[in-house]
Amino acid sequence: MKYIEEFLKKEKPSGYYNKLLEELGGLNRKFGAFNFINKQISAGFPMSVKDNICVKGMETTASSKILKGYIPPFSATVIKRLEKEGFSILGKTNMDEFGFGSFGINSETPAKNPFDETRVAGGSSSGAAIATAILKYHVAVAESTGGSIAAPASFCGVVGFTPTYGLISRYGLIDYSNSLDKIGFMSRSSEDIRTLMGKSIGKDPADTTSVDAVLNNVSKQRLVIVDELYSKIDKNIKSSFDNTVKKLSSAGFKIEHLSIPEIDYSIPVYYIISMAEASTNLAKFTGFKYGLKVDDFSKGYNDFFTEAREAFGEEAKRKILLGTFIRGASVRSKYYEKALKIRRAIKDKMSSFLKDSFVISPTMPVIAPTIKEAQSFTPLQNYSMDLLTIPSNLCGFPSISLPSDYLNGLPVGIQITGGQFEDMGLVSFGEEWEKSFKYNFKYNLGDL
Amino acid sequence: MKIGLEVHVALPTHSKLFCSCSTEDADQPNTNICPICMGFPGSKPSLNKEAVRIAKSVSKALNCKINQSISFVRKTYFYPDLPKSFQITQLAGSIGIGGEIKLSSSTVRIRRIQIEEDPARIIRESKYTLLDFNRSGIPLIEIVTDPDITSEDQLREFLSVLRSILYYIGVDIDKEMKADLNISLGENRVEIKNVTGIKNLIDASRYETKRQGEIIKSGRQPEKETRSYEEASQTTVSSREKETDEEYGYIYEPDLTDFSVSGLEIKEDVFDARQISREIADKYSLDYKTILELIALDKDALNLLKHGLEKTNLKPDLVLNALEAKKRFGNAVNEKSLVLLAGYIEKGIQIDREIIKKVENGIPPAEDVISDEKIDDSIEKELSSSPDLVERYKKNPKVVDFIVSTISKKYGIPQKKVAVRIKDILAKYIK
Repeated sequence: MKYIEEFLKKEKPSGYYNKLLEELGGLNRKFGAFNFINKQISAGFPMSVKDNICVKGMETTASSKILKGYIPPFSATVIKRLEKEGFSILGKTNMDEFGFGSFGINSETPAKNPFDETRVAGGSSSGAAIATAILKYHVAVAESTGGSIAAPASFCGVVGFTPTYGLISRYGLIDYSNSLDKIGFMSRSSEDIRTLMGKSIGKDPADTTSVDAVLNNVSKQRLVIVDELYSKIDKNIKSSFDNTVKKLSSAGFKIEHLSIPEIDYSIPVYYIISMAEASTNLAKFTGFKYGLKVDDFSKGYNDFFTEAREAFGEEAKRKILLGTFIRGASVRSKYYEKALKIRRAIKDKMSSFLKDSFVISPTMPVIAPTIKEAQSFTPLQNYSMDLLTIPSNLCGFPSISLPSDYLNGLPVGIQITGGQFEDMGLVSFGEEWEKSFKYNFKYNLGDL
Repeated sequence: MKIGLEVHVALPTHSKLFCSCSTEDADQPNTNICPICMGFPGSKPSLNKEAVRIAKSVSKALNCKINQSISFVRKTYFYPDLPKSFQITQLAGSIGIGGEIKLSSSTVRIRRIQIEEDPARIIRESKYTLLDFNRSGIPLIEIVTDPDITSEDQLREFLSVLRSILYYIGVDIDKEMKADLNISLGENRVEIKNVTGIKNLIDASRYETKRQGEIIKSGRQPEKETRSYEEASQTTVSSREKETDEEYGYIYEPDLTDFSVSGLEIKEDVFDARQISREIADKYSLDYKTILELIALDKDALNLLKHGLEKTNLKPDLVLNALEAKKRFGNAVNEKSLVLLAGYIEKGIQIDREIIKKVENGIPPAEDVISDEKIDDSIEKELSSSPDLVERYKKNPKVVDFIVSTISKKYGIPQKKVAVRIKDILAKYIK
């Protein structure tokens, strides 16, 4: 289903955007999808932007109090590229503060799942997933550091695409962990992902880590299940996943089980690297050039910025404390440098068997928990939710999350991971999958 | 005594290290700024390759091993002049590693040369502090030495040699030089931070040597501490910082990929003015020190000296004398005027602005047709009309030089010729 193409072909009734904005306003209050809705939208294909991606002249806060009132003087490269191609900004979407979370509840307005508002929408790109799940003609520009696209896409029943690191410029992204952060997309179909990728990838001189690459529709018939990941999946999810794998097998895919012992280190390695980088990225928020303003200039600088930094949420503070510790001279080689080495080893191992296969797993090890449950999780329980989605960010590899089942009316997703620059192979896989599996949507705002 | 230095010098690039903002001095504060050098959320650095290229030239000139693949790190600390609260600098992936500068009787090892960004400028007023981000992101190199300097003379020599080597690469060390001075006479290292300019550096080391020396003489040890230099009183004072090793929590800068420097061409001739001076002095039997002083910080003088010695028939000492005139009269002395100027010098005519003007206009020294009679007449005329000159000569015979030059200038007679006759005639006046 090509929503973008269909929308552009269809005649829009007059007042289409006003009606859309009106309906959206109501649902937004219910689910908390947007931090900011752009009332000026009057043409183009509606696109939402995760609130950690800068848009010139539009408040961009990454859902953090410390950035309240920050209006960037420039737009992210990916936004400039898409605006030139006929996409218009519908608003800035809700998220876990700075991307710190797997459920979308580390925000002033906790996000709610459109399939069951007592449950989480997933995070950190919570609003992006909700917007995609409730709007028929819409795409979301989102961002992932360790599963922040896949997790909410899976909980909200939409397609989530996390490309190869470097394909989409990060210029204009408010960093969480620069060596892991990837800008990607959510949509209602894989075909729309293909359209978006075609219009947004490529080298950007403003982002040194961005690259040019020729993307082929790699086709692979072998799907690998990693034992170490499979063994940690919740049993409801496991039986749903087994059924999906059976379907794929009868459709001609060769399924193999493989052991990658190194992958057990993914979570600690991921959190060490991401916290080390995050704690330096957050250092710039000192409350006197942008965002939150501390008016009392009579204090010394140390007291001044300490007061400003009280505005950080709990998880942000945790990452600053742990990240700063990890970077300390006395433990750097024990944690940070060792983590970089293991990251390299995991990447080498993954590369070797991704040569002739894709990796398949459920996207999340559990079904979307209730907001109450999620709020009672310990930090370690929270971090373990990223088990299945972290490897693709650690290695910089592309992955796609596709709705694959509905358990008690709640969406469940599968995740396919490919090798570097095999992005279009994953999109092709999604396009094939969508020929035999129809996605359910509870809302179709903006239908024509 | 052991002294080690960390010298910070700005690199002569047109744009800043990580953005395209100009490095030119601006009339207004906070005008050469953008989201990148202001550290705005969402901005990212892009490396200025020209800065890396110049740093590579410097590394080569200081005999360092050049890292073919360089990397950057984040040095995190909180200070109002640091827009991102971390400075992008280098550590293990520094551009230059393990070099040395040979001095007349010692060697100073260079530990490493790294590229980094300058913070903003802090302007402290009595009731408030102002920040000017025009300086934020200006490319710097930091040259880190081992503690190999053992005396003030060596420090002076090191700085003048370093300055000359960098000068020939186009890097002006005295313009905005800031250095941290590590100095220890006893067991503990004292660091004097942020000393600006060569003169202050030498004054700071002299004061600190004295201070530590007195403490040791009294039977104690100087404390391990950080101090700062106060220019007005020429003293150092304790910064009252905690006596622990600084904790900067270094991590790799993940927004910059490892950068290969192998494609960057070293355009500048790397050479040492001391070596050139020695070669010229030996070849033409000239004074080494005079040559070195002339050319150490003057590329034009070097070229002119070579031109005069190699491309003209002038005697070497005349070329050198003509160049000393260049030191006083600057660019008016060039290849074209060198021979003419040497002609005046050879005739014993004292070089002043008027002569330089003649040289610039291509006027050769007047032909030597002045008769002895005319010389005597001129001297007589001058002495009789200025009895005070005679009086001054009576009190101080050295005044004769002044009288000679006055007459030479006034009557257009070469000084040598006046000098030959002056004493005989003066004798008549002081009977």
